[in-house]
Amino acid sequence: MTSLTIRKSIIAAGVSLAALFAAAGPSVAQEAVFVMASNEVGSPTYNPIKASNLNIGSTLIFDRLVAQDADLSFHPWLAESWEEAPDGMSWVFHLKKGVTFHNGEPFNAQTIVKWLELFKASENAYMTEAIQTVEVIDDATVKFVMSRPEPNLLYNFSSSYLSVVEPKSYEALGDNYGVTEVYGTGPFKLESFTIGQETVLVRNEDYAWASSLAKNRGKAKIAKITLREIAEDSTAFLELKSGGVDMLLSVPTDFLGEVKSESNLEVVTLAGQDVAYMPINVTKEPFTDIRVREAAAKAINQKEILDSVYGGVGEVANTFLISALPESKVDPKYQISYDPDRSKALLDEAGWTMGADGVREKDGKPLRVSLWTQSDSSFRRLTEVVQAELKAVGIDSEITTFDSSAIRDQYKSGNQQLAVRSYNWDNADIIDWFFGGDRLGYPNISMFNDPKAEELRKLAMSGSKNMAERVKNFTAYHEYVLSQYPMAPIYQPVNSVAYNKDRLVLPAEIHSPGVGATVIMDMEVKE
Amino acid sequence: MLAYALRRVLMLVPVFLAVSVVIFSILHFIPGDPIDNLLKVGAPPGQRAEMMARYGLDRPLPVQYAIWLGKLLTGDLGTAIVARRPVVDLIAQALPHSLLLGGLALTFSSLLGIALGVVAALRKDSLVDRMIMGGVLFGSMLPSFWLGLLLILAFSVGLGWFPVSGARTWSSLVLPVLTIGFGGTALVARITRVSMIEIASRDFVLLLHAKGLSPFEIQIRHVLRHALIPVVTILALRIGWILGGAVTVEVVFARPGLGTLLIKALSQHDYPVVQASLLMLAMAVMLGTLLGDLLQAAMDPRVRGALA
Repeated sequence: MTSLTIRKSIIAAGVSLAALFAAAGPSVAQEAVFVMASNEVGSPTYNPIKASNLNIGSTLIFDRLVAQDADLSFHPWLAESWEEAPDGMSWVFHLKKGVTFHNGEPFNAQTIVKWLELFKASENAYMTEAIQTVEVIDDATVKFVMSRPEPNLLYNFSSSYLSVVEPKSYEALGDNYGVTEVYGTGPFKLESFTIGQETVLVRNEDYAWASSLAKNRGKAKIAKITLREIAEDSTAFLELKSGGVDMLLSVPTDFLGEVKSESNLEVVTLAGQDVAYMPINVTKEPFTDIRVREAAAKAINQKEILDSVYGGVGEVANTFLISALPESKVDPKYQISYDPDRSKALLDEAGWTMGADGVREKDGKPLRVSLWTQSDSSFRRLTEVVQAELKAVGIDSEITTFDSSAIRDQYKSGNQQLAVRSYNWDNADIIDWFFGGDRLGYPNISMFNDPKAEELRKLAMSGSKNMAERVKNFTAYHEYVLSQYPMAPIYQPVNSVAYNKDRLVLPAEIHSPGVGATVIMDMEVKE
Repeated sequence: MLAYALRRVLMLVPVFLAVSVVIFSILHFIPGDPIDNLLKVGAPPGQRAEMMARYGLDRPLPVQYAIWLGKLLTGDLGTAIVARRPVVDLIAQALPHSLLLGGLALTFSSLLGIALGVVAALRKDSLVDRMIMGGVLFGSMLPSFWLGLLLILAFSVGLGWFPVSGARTWSSLVLPVLTIGFGGTALVARITRVSMIEIASRDFVLLLHAKGLSPFEIQIRHVLRHALIPVVTILALRIGWILGGAVTVEVVFARPGLGTLLIKALSQHDYPVVQASLLMLAMAVMLGTLLGDLLQAAMDPRVRGALA
């Protein structure tokens, strides 16, 4: 290579590098970059029928029949209204007219028939299995004939797994549906999707059928949204801080202080759907004695944990369910809260007397139990506080840490005594999931299998004709489970969203359980 | 030479088989399975067993291994259980990013390492030598995860020169390359330095001095040329390690690549993906070693003889 050509190539390289730097500048107006919550990173597909994990993008590509407000009430979306038969054996849904899919196909009663057929033999089939047949009454009216009453139908229809997909393209695309192409009726169309990296969505210019919870019923105000997937929380925070992204859809509590100290960043807290709790294995000594279980449960100082571990952000938990659910409104006598005197009295009564070293004993055996937790730092911290609180009433516990995937397998052995964990769900059927007698080990970590609970569970799960009855039955089931102390509720976190207020304007009120289509419809990018 | 190369390549077969057994067994013996990541709240109790059967996870481990290996030998890496896509597609998407990052990092650490090593050798035992050697040693000890975040803080947040993360532009490569590159620099610099000093004490160098060549010409044209032989071997060996070492760096910079793929798949126990990615990394190490050996043999006939 002569010196001239070397010089030429250096100049060429410099010029192209400069061009690339210029391209990396801030995005232009009406475009926004969001970072997905870290538990949504790596969702492999936008196919709701086969997916086991969907990210926020699916709520923008697809609409659902029913929308859910922040208070968990149900509102019209693609369904304008609905009627339920008094015996719960049929539902009539009136659909919005003039709705079209991204590929131009119309949305109507026929769509519903074909769409629900797609669920048969899929992993999400159980969500629609109570629907026996779908009858088309007219172009915009369908009747669901049920095999059993399912008051939870509205909840299912508001779930992102029951997003309305366009059936023709679904069948034509096969495995590529949701990966290379995807067609819904939502406010945004899929432009590109790279698993684990980013999803680019562009506005659906024809959109005019937002849910009644959004103020803006026309097309979205933001023209283009890039949803980035960043697994490492510190990196996501630094992107927000440096202006590389406009919004983080979930900020870990550890970073809240730093976000709040930045003048251009704002934090919005939404009611969370998580509950941290301490499962108690009812089949392991000494927790076979209900008095010891109650004593352990009432040794947990929820308020202290909220203040010292979570800086007062969130709510204490006194039942197994998030407080937004009506089924969490149990009779106060079933609520589980801190009562060290009661705890000590119960242990005395059960024969566990206080030893000299602050650990109780019975028949010469110390009250030593295992306490399992996950390796994440926030869990470790919480578990250490729980350990100290148990110690305060004379229960000595030893912490064992597992990684989040391995611990589920360990639970299946049934060897656990106490553990600290959390779940994320916004429906009362989570009690069935974690305390059902046919799910021992995992998910039923408490190994709780009680004939009366099973009876109440069956009634709650499939014996309710309508929503009011379901709430009543689930409340009764919930109360009975609480009375048996297979766990101690601890804490309800909030979901913190951080955004750059120089770039984004959020609606004054958030009418949605989380940031999704309803919120983004009313969101604006500052020019 | 050809015979040596052939023998050396054939030796890879048993190594490959052993590695595949180890990867498969470790993964299947650690607790947890992918099905837990597929079951959603509300799924009926029987669904777990049904899905285990669907993915063949209910069969004895040796049978599962045999099926996996059989498919592997025909070039079929299987379908990801949680990610539900052909593993080949996932790897094809990830590998170019890893190779680019690894290649650039290797180039960076070679150039910087050799330059620093030469300067240190020329100024042997001086303050400059000690500062360079101390500096690279310090640099190599920094955990790459931490160094990455530090570079982001300084150059992206502080100065705003480079993007914090992602892989959208060339400029987003700079910080990850520096992060990985710094780690390898120390090794290259140390070997270059030692090798230069050693060669400089040989008789032929004395002869060159006697001939009246300038010291600079002797060092750069003659000594460095010989001194680079072990450096090249070490660099070849490092190819695999660089790819493996990029795992955490990819996560910090939210870059696509084998590392990001592997970490996500590991947390989900997505067996086919983890097996294939680990095998890729192991192969990179094996091929790097092979390349190192072949280079050495090409340069030194005694090595070829030793294996015969």
